[in-house]
Amino acid sequence: MKDKVSPECKSDELNFFDLSPSDKCLVEKTIQGGFSRRDVLKLMMVTGVSLVTAQNLLFTGQQALAAMPKKGGSVRMAANLHGPDDQLDPPRFTSTIDYVRGRAVYNSLVQHNNDLTTRGELAETIEPNADASEWTLKLRKGVVFHDGTPFTADDVIYSMNRHMGDDSTSVVKSVLASIQEWKKVNSHEVKCVLNTSNSDLPTLLGLYQTKIVKNGTTGDGIGTGPFVLDSFEPGVKSVHSRNENYWREGANLDLIEITAITDPVARVNALIAGDVQLINQVAPSAFRQIEEADNVTLLSTPAAVQLGICVLKNAEPGMNDDFVKGLQYIQDRERVVKRILKGKGTVANDTPISIAHGPDFCSELPQREFDPDKAKFHFEKSGYSSAELYVAPVASGIEEVCLLAQANCAKIGFDLQLKKVPTDGYWGAVWMREPINVVTWNMRPTAQSQMAIQFGPGAEWNDTYWNNERMGVLLQAVLSEIDPAKRHEMMCEMQTLIHNGSGMVIPAFTNINDGIAANIMGMPTVPLGALGALEWPEFIWLS
Amino acid sequence: MMLQMTLRRIWVGVATMFVVSVIVFIMTSILPGDVAQIVLGQSATPETLAALRAELGLDMPAYLRYLEWLGDMLTGDLGTSKAGGAAISDLIGGRFGNTMVLAGLVAGISIPISILLGLWAAMHPGSWLDRTVTFGTLATISVPEFFVATLMVLILAVNLQWLPSTALLRDEMTFFELLGGLAMPIITLVIVVSAQMIRMTRAGILNVMNSPYIEMAILKGIPRGRIILRHALFNAIGPIVNVIALNLAYLVSGVVIVETIFSYPGLAKLMIDGVQTRDLPLVQACAMIFCGAYVILILIADIGSIVSNPRLRHPK
Amino acid sequence: MNEPEKQNVEAGQEVLDKLDKFDELPDAPPKRKLKLSWTGKIATMIVVFWMVIAIIGPFIAPFHEMDMDGDDSFLNAHSNEYGTFYLGTDYLGRDTFSRVIWGARMTIGISLAATFLAYVIGITLGIAAAVKGGWVDMAVSRVNDAILALPSIMLGLIAIAAFGSSIPILVIIAGIIYASSVFRIARALGLDIMVQDFVEAAKVRGEGLWWIIKSEVLPNAAMPLATDFGLRLVFVVLFISSLSFLGLGVQPPQADWGSMVRENLAGLTYNSWAAVWPAFAIASFTIAINLIVDDISAKSGGSLAKKMV
Repeated sequence: MKDKVSPECKSDELNFFDLSPSDKCLVEKTIQGGFSRRDVLKLMMVTGVSLVTAQNLLFTGQQALAAMPKKGGSVRMAANLHGPDDQLDPPRFTSTIDYVRGRAVYNSLVQHNNDLTTRGELAETIEPNADASEWTLKLRKGVVFHDGTPFTADDVIYSMNRHMGDDSTSVVKSVLASIQEWKKVNSHEVKCVLNTSNSDLPTLLGLYQTKIVKNGTTGDGIGTGPFVLDSFEPGVKSVHSRNENYWREGANLDLIEITAITDPVARVNALIAGDVQLINQVAPSAFRQIEEADNVTLLSTPAAVQLGICVLKNAEPGMNDDFVKGLQYIQDRERVVKRILKGKGTVANDTPISIAHGPDFCSELPQREFDPDKAKFHFEKSGYSSAELYVAPVASGIEEVCLLAQANCAKIGFDLQLKKVPTDGYWGAVWMREPINVVTWNMRPTAQSQMAIQFGPGAEWNDTYWNNERMGVLLQAVLSEIDPAKRHEMMCEMQTLIHNGSGMVIPAFTNINDGIAANIMGMPTVPLGALGALEWPEFIWLS
Repeated sequence: MMLQMTLRRIWVGVATMFVVSVIVFIMTSILPGDVAQIVLGQSATPETLAALRAELGLDMPAYLRYLEWLGDMLTGDLGTSKAGGAAISDLIGGRFGNTMVLAGLVAGISIPISILLGLWAAMHPGSWLDRTVTFGTLATISVPEFFVATLMVLILAVNLQWLPSTALLRDEMTFFELLGGLAMPIITLVIVVSAQMIRMTRAGILNVMNSPYIEMAILKGIPRGRIILRHALFNAIGPIVNVIALNLAYLVSGVVIVETIFSYPGLAKLMIDGVQTRDLPLVQACAMIFCGAYVILILIADIGSIVSNPRLRHPK
Repeated sequence: MNEPEKQNVEAGQEVLDKLDKFDELPDAPPKRKLKLSWTGKIATMIVVFWMVIAIIGPFIAPFHEMDMDGDDSFLNAHSNEYGTFYLGTDYLGRDTFSRVIWGARMTIGISLAATFLAYVIGITLGIAAAVKGGWVDMAVSRVNDAILALPSIMLGLIAIAAFGSSIPILVIIAGIIYASSVFRIARALGLDIMVQDFVEAAKVRGEGLWWIIKSEVLPNAAMPLATDFGLRLVFVVLFISSLSFLGLGVQPPQADWGSMVRENLAGLTYNSWAAVWPAFAIASFTIAINLIVDDISAKSGGSLAKKMV
């Protein structure tokens, strides 16, 4: 923002941006309040600032006002799913609508930036010991819950312990399995003891589910977050108003309403008609509709959201490497990206790591191309002439990917039958059970965690049952490797192993595609989930 | 006599509700996956599944859970949602009102229209007017609801900006605001349900017109309008009331597509959500409401047909 | 009298009885040649057209229903190296024209099969309940009420989630669900007819139960039930399409008209007709069936109504 300040403004002089939030507010109000310039300057000099400074303040203040967050207004967000299982209890959050409510009402210890680095949220600092097996977190002071209770270390220990233990029903229990214990040091300092070294711990403390609730409560909507819960009806809507006692500058919007419109066509229509201001999960067939309307923006965030086909390696036909190869070569990746995803995606190389993961992406690995002849060769060698693929619409575009594969298989004489099943019950009854099925994963913040979750030998969600010892060794070793070149080498070796050996067919990554009203400013773009990983409630404003 | 029959009908209604609860129980237990698996979704692990099942009491045998539900139900306790933990009476409360408001408004508009159009068409069978009504009702009835609804949203909400695209309700709304907010779902549903009622009214009256006693009336020279209004309509009321009752039952329980497209929080969508999350107490509660509504509507329909056919009053 | 002779006599008597009935009962369907009005003739042509398409469709369609050979999705009519897309392409770049043709088989096949199944089940149980009465009536009616009281889309959802969505399953589900309404009509008509004079007379004459059903109840119930057939067929088509709204229904890439409307709804904003053509196909087929049914029922009893005009 400083770039916008005119050159007349010398850096050693106090200017608008150096003011505290309350002073900024004062200047803003003064400028907006219709006082004459002379009145304002007089007023300022009375309060003890020099004329130069006062003039400077006024100038930069006016300059910045255009880009300054404006207070006030309300928005309505329509998610893609909701129902009677809507939650305010963070460990049980499973859907976008839960996540956004959690983001509005609660805070995490750590927050993700747009570039996937982290910053402290309720934790002011997070310091590892030498081998990153024990972390010390200094907690922010002066933070209060919505009911006025001060926030302390006890709340952190209580909230984080809910993800551990035998009776924990937290959905991220296994993700946080490396945490052995939380120790209270004093009222505003805790220690996190790990059972192995993990330099990526901070990213784990910024998950949707690791929100801090008040000690002893199970999600009654009382948090420390930027919005206070006014009303909540599961499967209908929730209404939140700004938390006036927030520990940061606080939200710009007065009110947000969070609901869902489950029909994709109706959701887009509601956005364009102006009835809602933010929607997630825009289907590719609606891109043009949003792009052509002038009151809305298509927010397409590149991310490593895989459209995957899992071929189980512990069952027929996935045990046969040639079958997997055949299915990989029949993927017309360019066409998936261009025609199915309408360009809002990237070609994938049968690994879960994309360019969005930054330097850990192995660009050296040769791209597997669409090659019907090779596919035919491998299918014939495998001895299979037909297979059954279970499809559920778990991600937008996945069904179309399978239809394209089916059509291309038919052209080389392979009969790929699709079995479409409902999404409900899919994860329990089909995924990791039927020999060939589809999967999608939200992008994880690091390449290591992305691969560990899905390809770690014996990992809970190793969804192709491909257990490779070398993979396990590398996954552990890379965590303590600090030399960037060596680290990249290890990352590349892992991606090559997955590319060549696993049962995973990943033709493409889809962008995260959301739609927002064009007057929404300051939209975060964290690529870890829909709508800037739902970081928006605190930060957006309406122009 | 009528009272006796009504009492008998209420008993039959209770029996039907019991049968419904058993059927719902059997059907939901053959579904793949349970509520714990659905709630944990992709993130489920054997340990968290076991812990959640224990927490929700899913480790009990299924029939015991049914009996427990039945016991609670009989004492007026609808229980809590397995999936979300909210009290089912809270989940249902507002939606019940919403459903009734929508069904009431649609019925209030569509029933008079349907009977008038049906009568009109029946008075002039084979005429151009009759053919237009017949063709028009067939055309609207044969197009999927979601097509009608989406087309109307595109025209009335997106392009013309006359009406809101979704039925988002606020707490304090005047009757006319409500009517405006609900205009789209109301229009869609009026189109959907009227067609069948018009056709049945027309067919019912034409059917009666063929009976010997109407023929007699015609031969006696009674004016046509009077025959239809005094004799035919009264005698055709049985099938007409029947089809109205079935359509009202549909408006209470079957409007899931309209509720979804217009994001209207009603009971039909709630039940589908309940099925999709395997939330048995929720599904059962909705089923009981739907069944109750159905039983009452059919009772009214049956009284209608008994009134119109005196022979049925003294079954042999 | 030896055995064959006795049979002959009986058979002869039966024919005589039937003829008798037809002559003496004013309500029995009159014997006449079916003569359709001009709307009926057009409707018949449309139905025959779709039937032919349903049978030979896959052989005449320019593309396979799964081929994504169009230049892009939601395009209007165009040609490329693969062929000509007369009605443009759908959301995946498949040929709408071919898919409407392929869809005829699926839509007409499923809806006719399910409707017939519904009629067989519904009429059998309905008449049985009406004639038998007592606990048979009670038991069948309660289960039937239960099915009617529950929303059909929910029953479909459960059945598909439990048993998968193959075509036989879809036919059976739709057949059972719509049998419940047929049952109600059949039972009500049965009850109505059972208290009519001519049935009571037959009872007094000492005719058997089966005889009454066959000669009195069925012929008299036939016309109202036939009138309902057209609507029932529409409902089955709509039921299958509403399942597609929930993401169920026929298996991809198979085309049925209802799910084609559903999957191409987004194209309406781009002036793509990909959703309109299948909607048009549904409408033309179901309206035509209903017009024929109307014509027949109007002919069977409409004479008086005509007199009045």
